[in-house]
Amino acid sequence: MSVIEKLSKLDRRYVFLAVAIAVSLPMFFPLGLPVEVTAPVKQLYDVIEELPERSVVLISIDYDPSGAPELQPATLAILRHCFKRNLRVLVLGMWAPGVPLGMKALDEVAVKEFNKKYGVDYVNFGYRPGGAIFLVNLGRDVHDVCRTDVYGTPVDELPMMRDVHSAKDIALVVTMSMGVPGSDQWIFYYQARYRGKLATAQTAIGAPRYYPYLQTGQLVGLIGGMKGAAEYERLVKTRGFASIGMDSQSAAHMLIIGLVVLGNFIFWMEKRKK
Amino acid sequence: MKLLVAIYVAIVSLVLFDVGLIQADTHTPAEPDSVKIFPPKITALKDTPNDAGTSIDILWELSPSESLFPGAIIEYQIFRASSPESTFERVGAVPAGVSKFSDGGTEPGKPYWYKVVAVGDSQQAASEIAGPGKSVMQWFDRRRKGVLVFVILICTLIAVFIEVAKAKKGKMFLRHLPVFDAIDEAIGRATEMGKKVLYIMGQSDVDDPQTVASMSILARVAEKTAAYGTKLDVPCVWPMAMSMARETVKESFLRAGKPDAYKEDDIYYLTSDQFGYVAGVDGVMMRDRPAANFYLGAFYAESLIFAETGYTTGAIQIAGTAMVDQLPFFVVACDYTLIGEELYAAGASLSGDPIQIGSIRGQDIAKAIFFFYIIAGVVLKLAGINWLETLLRLD
Amino acid sequence: MRLQIPLAIILVMGIFTLVTAFIPAKPIADVNQLLRNWYIGIITFFIFLGTFNLARVNINKIKRRRRDWGYSFILLGCLALMLFLGFYKGRASTEEGQPFMYLYFNVQFPLGATMYSLLAFFVTSASFRAFRARNKEALCLLLAAVIIMLGRVPVGTAIWKGFPSVTEWIMNYPNAAAKRGISLGIDLGLISMALRMILGIERSYMQ
Repeated sequence: MSVIEKLSKLDRRYVFLAVAIAVSLPMFFPLGLPVEVTAPVKQLYDVIEELPERSVVLISIDYDPSGAPELQPATLAILRHCFKRNLRVLVLGMWAPGVPLGMKALDEVAVKEFNKKYGVDYVNFGYRPGGAIFLVNLGRDVHDVCRTDVYGTPVDELPMMRDVHSAKDIALVVTMSMGVPGSDQWIFYYQARYRGKLATAQTAIGAPRYYPYLQTGQLVGLIGGMKGAAEYERLVKTRGFASIGMDSQSAAHMLIIGLVVLGNFIFWMEKRKK
Repeated sequence: MKLLVAIYVAIVSLVLFDVGLIQADTHTPAEPDSVKIFPPKITALKDTPNDAGTSIDILWELSPSESLFPGAIIEYQIFRASSPESTFERVGAVPAGVSKFSDGGTEPGKPYWYKVVAVGDSQQAASEIAGPGKSVMQWFDRRRKGVLVFVILICTLIAVFIEVAKAKKGKMFLRHLPVFDAIDEAIGRATEMGKKVLYIMGQSDVDDPQTVASMSILARVAEKTAAYGTKLDVPCVWPMAMSMARETVKESFLRAGKPDAYKEDDIYYLTSDQFGYVAGVDGVMMRDRPAANFYLGAFYAESLIFAETGYTTGAIQIAGTAMVDQLPFFVVACDYTLIGEELYAAGASLSGDPIQIGSIRGQDIAKAIFFFYIIAGVVLKLAGINWLETLLRLD
Repeated sequence: MRLQIPLAIILVMGIFTLVTAFIPAKPIADVNQLLRNWYIGIITFFIFLGTFNLARVNINKIKRRRRDWGYSFILLGCLALMLFLGFYKGRASTEEGQPFMYLYFNVQFPLGATMYSLLAFFVTSASFRAFRARNKEALCLLLAAVIIMLGRVPVGTAIWKGFPSVTEWIMNYPNAAAKRGISLGIDLGLISMALRMILGIERSYMQ
């Protein structure tokens, strides 16, 4: 069996091994390559930057632990930006397993870093079922669909919620989304009805789908995957998990390119032989 | 006695402090003494257009202090009362620089009076009371008239072509997709090998039309498996979709004349957790090695994991989704893929029902109209005419 | 009658929901709101149905000693454990430091991330196996993919500064144009599908 034949029949477990090495090596030997900020991420940063102080930003945690490596760094970076700008933050989520992730992010940023006051500077409504229907109701009457917060406190007892009744009172919504319900529902059932500002952070695999919405203005910003989160971390001047993961991602992309080139070389050699 | 007086003074002070008559000097005003907060002036109270009649727009001229003392005003607070004499209740606040507020808590036809208070760091100034303002209920959202026209047009086209198809008894040309033959081939292969058919309906619940479209293909697949006596396995992400799938499969078994072969437990709930579901389905693939895998519905990141695992088990794989970003993965790793709208059309097309076929033809004509609409819109826009572009805008 | 009543409900509700998109008046909006609340209530009920079904299917599997029944045993054990830990102290069960949260962050979190990370391995092996420049179009696709892969990571910028902007151009124009075309077809298909359902033409899920 020639080398070309052997390569064309390569056991895919060798490919898996190569990926594992490519991803893990840079964690031990970081390259620290600088991250270039792209326009969709900068757009979101600028929108938050221009919001008047004390405006309300709603962050929807629409992911679960599997999406956390890509989306949690973006959540943390956006929270940091919001609290730095003295904005008020309303957190909720349409994925039940995402609730603890939202709580953890708030604890890390709002409590430990910025010493913000619960109920005044931020609130957390936890898991909200209903998907699209919930969003239609949310835009109409926040108090009706969020009657108690994640700790069981009635909404009327939260000082911050005195001014937040409907979509009109929410300056920006950022959905951190990896599937259904997520960005699609926010675009079709919330933004299309209430016309508020909406941005999304997506897993890298889902991000390309949202570019047309960025052009139409239905989205005011888009953070795609860990790279997008790393860009946001750069904008808010922190070096978080996403920035650290960029070297691994670089290595993995280079490996894929190498393998695609190799695959095509084999294909071309085989074709010539025939 | 002195002690009693001291206690009395202390208590009185505390009470007065509590009701706010004595201001503790704990706050240092940020504004210099020269800063003065002037009141804003309400210019209009208008009914918010195109709503349920539960909102009034309050517009005002910004306080002159905004330009005289930049940064002095923190926010404007909006107060409402049902008569000029009654107590005003705060209904909301907007940051400095904003001169409009929509009060979404009104009742249609009821008069309301408003005042806007400019709030600084230590001073505030209220506008004069304005009113009455009334909200009016609207029976038609004028912003959507263009959309309404298009909805009526599309529905009419579909309805007309359903009638045409009925008249022609379904003899209407519809592109034959190779995947239709592949469905039979895949089930036939599973039957020959004595293995099961795995059917995945995607990640969405029944409120996603992709799940309903998948359900109509499931009906055909189930009918065939019932006829061939092949085992069908349908793990579900959502309990409601599971109930619907059970009804669908049961009906198909009935149609195939094998109602006794139907087993409720073959259609079961696995988990609503995306990757938990992936782990469960991959487990089924690796353990049972189904000969045919169907992935039809809304798929997200899990699409490639399914398709690659199925590839390694050597199953014939048929996929279809309207999730554009997942299509490349299915195209690469599956034998046949229904692309976008083909998913919606497949069930109707497979049924051979003239009514369903007619609806697809109507949809195709609507698509052609949209195509010309887009071309005309681009040409007119280039010529500086925006009419067509704005026709379908909602705001 | 068994068929007519559900079909009538679908017809009335479908038309009503369509009409609410154009009529903002309060009485209509209130009824719509009521229906939406019912929907949320029904979905919540279905969560119990799902859990009940999961338990039933797996208990049957254990009872009948079907192949791999051991996995069902593990599944039921985990289900019971998580349910217990999630409820035994009421709301406080899901607070930081509680066993439920410990399992969430130390078991569910890494397991979920592991499943998701499989994608990296599968994307690579699928690219190696199937990404071939068989014709000119496929070559164009391949080149675009390489540019985007380089434009999405810092190493690409280190090679050539222009990669991110070329990537953005590809995403914003060729990618968005193709997606729009497909989306338009999908949305029209969706309208047609919805109409078939409202009119009771599409009823494969009904007995």
